[in-house]
Amino acid sequence: MTTIFEARAVTKRFGGLSAVSQVSFTLREGEILGLIGPNGSGKTTLVNVLTGALRYSRGEALFRGRSLRGLAPHEISKLGVCRTFQVMKPFRSLTVLENVMVGALFGKEGGARDLASARALARETLALCELLPRADAPADGLSVPERKRLELARALAMRPSLLFLDEVMAGLNPREIEEAVVLVKRIRDAGITLVVIEHVMKAIRSLSDRLMVLYNGEKLTEGPPQEVLAHPAVISAYLGRRYKEQPSA
Amino acid sequence: MDSKRRVLVAGAAAVCLALAVAPAVVSPFLVQFLINLFMLAAMAESWNIIGGFTGYASFGIAGFFGVGAYTTGVLLTAGHWPYPLALPAGGVFAMLLAALIGIAVLRLKGQYFAIATLGVTETMREVVYNLEITGGGSGLNLPMVQSPLPFFYLMFAVLLLSIAVNRRIATSRFGYGLIAIREDEDAASAMGIPTARYKTVAFALSGGLAGLVGGVFAYWITFVDPTEIFKVSWTLRTIIMAVFGGAGTVLGPVLGAAVLASIFEGLSAELVNFAELGSGIIIVVVVLFMPRGLFETVRRGELSFRHLLRQLDEYRA
Amino acid sequence: MLSLQVLVNGLLLGGVYGIMALGMSLIWGVMRIVNVAHGALIMLGAYHAFFTFTLLGWDPFLSLPVTIGVFFVLGYAIQRFLLNRIVRAQLFLTLLITFGLGVVIENLARIAWSSDLRQVTPAYQGAHFELYGINIPHVRLGVFLSAAVLSLLFLLLIERTKLGRAIRATSQELRAAQLSGVPVGHIYAVTFGLGTALAGAAGALWGMLFPITPTMGGPLTLKSFAVDVLGGLGTMMGPLVGGLVLGVIESFTATYVGPTYPNLLSFGLLVLILVFRPAGILGPRGLSG
Repeated sequence: MTTIFEARAVTKRFGGLSAVSQVSFTLREGEILGLIGPNGSGKTTLVNVLTGALRYSRGEALFRGRSLRGLAPHEISKLGVCRTFQVMKPFRSLTVLENVMVGALFGKEGGARDLASARALARETLALCELLPRADAPADGLSVPERKRLELARALAMRPSLLFLDEVMAGLNPREIEEAVVLVKRIRDAGITLVVIEHVMKAIRSLSDRLMVLYNGEKLTEGPPQEVLAHPAVISAYLGRRYKEQPSA
Repeated sequence: MDSKRRVLVAGAAAVCLALAVAPAVVSPFLVQFLINLFMLAAMAESWNIIGGFTGYASFGIAGFFGVGAYTTGVLLTAGHWPYPLALPAGGVFAMLLAALIGIAVLRLKGQYFAIATLGVTETMREVVYNLEITGGGSGLNLPMVQSPLPFFYLMFAVLLLSIAVNRRIATSRFGYGLIAIREDEDAASAMGIPTARYKTVAFALSGGLAGLVGGVFAYWITFVDPTEIFKVSWTLRTIIMAVFGGAGTVLGPVLGAAVLASIFEGLSAELVNFAELGSGIIIVVVVLFMPRGLFETVRRGELSFRHLLRQLDEYRA
Repeated sequence: MLSLQVLVNGLLLGGVYGIMALGMSLIWGVMRIVNVAHGALIMLGAYHAFFTFTLLGWDPFLSLPVTIGVFFVLGYAIQRFLLNRIVRAQLFLTLLITFGLGVVIENLARIAWSSDLRQVTPAYQGAHFELYGINIPHVRLGVFLSAAVLSLLFLLLIERTKLGRAIRATSQELRAAQLSGVPVGHIYAVTFGLGTALAGAAGALWGMLFPITPTMGGPLTLKSFAVDVLGGLGTMMGPLVGGLVLGVIESFTATYVGPTYPNLLSFGLLVLILVFRPAGILGPRGLSG
């Protein structure tokens, strides 16, 4: 399995505040890396920097050996590195199908060049995400799980090699979470490398090949899910001082 | 769907045919009215590219209208260019200028962009006012053409061109990109759309078409001066017609222009003073009650008193 | 010495620019609305001063408090009954509706009062005095001082009173203000009332210096915006500083470059600043729009 992505000491500062500090990690092709950490630990900021939405303060990232630093978001997605948004942003006056078509039209290597093939690809993607019955519905009339799947479908239609999923399971009930896990695994099986930011522990544990923990913008640790989740520093990061003040388990 | 389309196309062809022979059969007054209508519709269609599809409400379309008018005018008078060359040159120059200006101002969002484009128009007027080659404050006199017929067909042609451009955009990858930019620019950027480039192209196309309209207008009325050409009310009328008819649709702006121009003509025959007052009132009313435009409102079946009144509460604090 | 005279002229004019732009900056800062009808309201203020002077014989300086009161009520009403309906709509629509409002006001004025030039001509109009060789007309100085006093009163209102605090809270953190029980709808109306009152007062002052016509408002809206952007949009001191700076720049341009160039400069400057330093002189670096 080849290394497809490498982040080197990625740092992002806002004024005097370090939102992300010296974060380094690698990704092997086809793996699912779970990215966890308490709220405000810099996960979304890291994704923003890596996908070009924010500028690096320091460090860089390499995708298939090519540096991503300084590239605009659309240039990065053309290379095959895409992301979903934590705050869902569907194109409201378009239908579900048209939303996904945008992804198909502008994805990797410029995407489909004509509307017909884009439409076909969009329909395929909707089928994969089980949204095909809603293809002609206006995008602002969907339920929460449907909107999450639309966000996913839009990103998938871009035919990414590497996909950053930002909290796709927030707001879903347990059954919907299970369905989401199945869908994400199906995406990986289609050959896409994934970085999944998530708060839902059960899901992230079963999904990830590896976990990486961010805390206060720094990488705390990484490794197999079982190990990481049992790591005392990780536990205390999530529970904070409260845990430390209760000496008996 | 196919038979419906065929009826629409046939209807459009019939309208075009009727308009083509109109000058021979209708009164000269109506000919002038139609030229004016074509012009307003073409301007609305031009604005639609940047304001409707892309969602960047430019308040500077009068500026590029003026650039086209003056470029064509100066080339005609001082440059002694033949009109068939001067007109396209006016459009091209307006387009290039729009591209250049767009690179700078399209980085601004929302209100700032609108005010910047307004400022650009004002600056253009002041520049023209201070230049000798444009005749400064006294304006430019263009050679007289006796018959309005050439302008009837020319303006109609420019209108058809602007509709064609809009249609091409609406059914193209470029158009999808513009709409995505309008709906959510950050998401559009993350989805691979080169937003800066697309916005600039849209702005340039819009400016170029407006410039063509200006080039025809200038020769038609044979006199251009800075205060009249760079008037804010051109922008005003253009935007309200596009919004009233339905910004972001292909034919909405034309519909808006047709309806509003007819109303104004009816009003201003008697009440010249009140035409502009009327447009102001209409803007306020449309924004309050039909912000999506007439086209959309009718399409959604929301043209009833009940819906209109409910609209009043939709955006309140 | 000529330059000193030009400088003083610029400063005196700049004072009016400042008070003119202050109302617009206030409305933008609190309500995030660019009031394109601002110039039209200034124009109404000028006509108000003209009519109270011509028909009632009131001295234009002394009628200022009345102008302020009348225009506050006018602004409050406009916001409460009209603008409040679209406060949460897309920015573009709020721009369009204030645009339309401005056109309506301008045309009503034109129909009611014709396009003839009016002027406020109190008895002391021509009088002036000399200071170190610099000519200072009484009216100009009076206008400047009135503008300064009004600005000061306004700043005190914003900084030192409970109302001012509520206004500032609403402008900075709408959600928090709402949660703290600030009656936002009322604050919006008061803010717009204050902004209109400032516009009306500015108009009255402007009318003492320049001819009054129904169409004078348009360029003044843009000029106010230029001043605001120059000084820092949404700040309170910004427009005042920006006004003085622009006044001086215009004065020097008119004298040393040509009388038809000041407008070109103001509008060109507006565009340049928006593009290169949207925060203006006093604003924070970078602007999130």
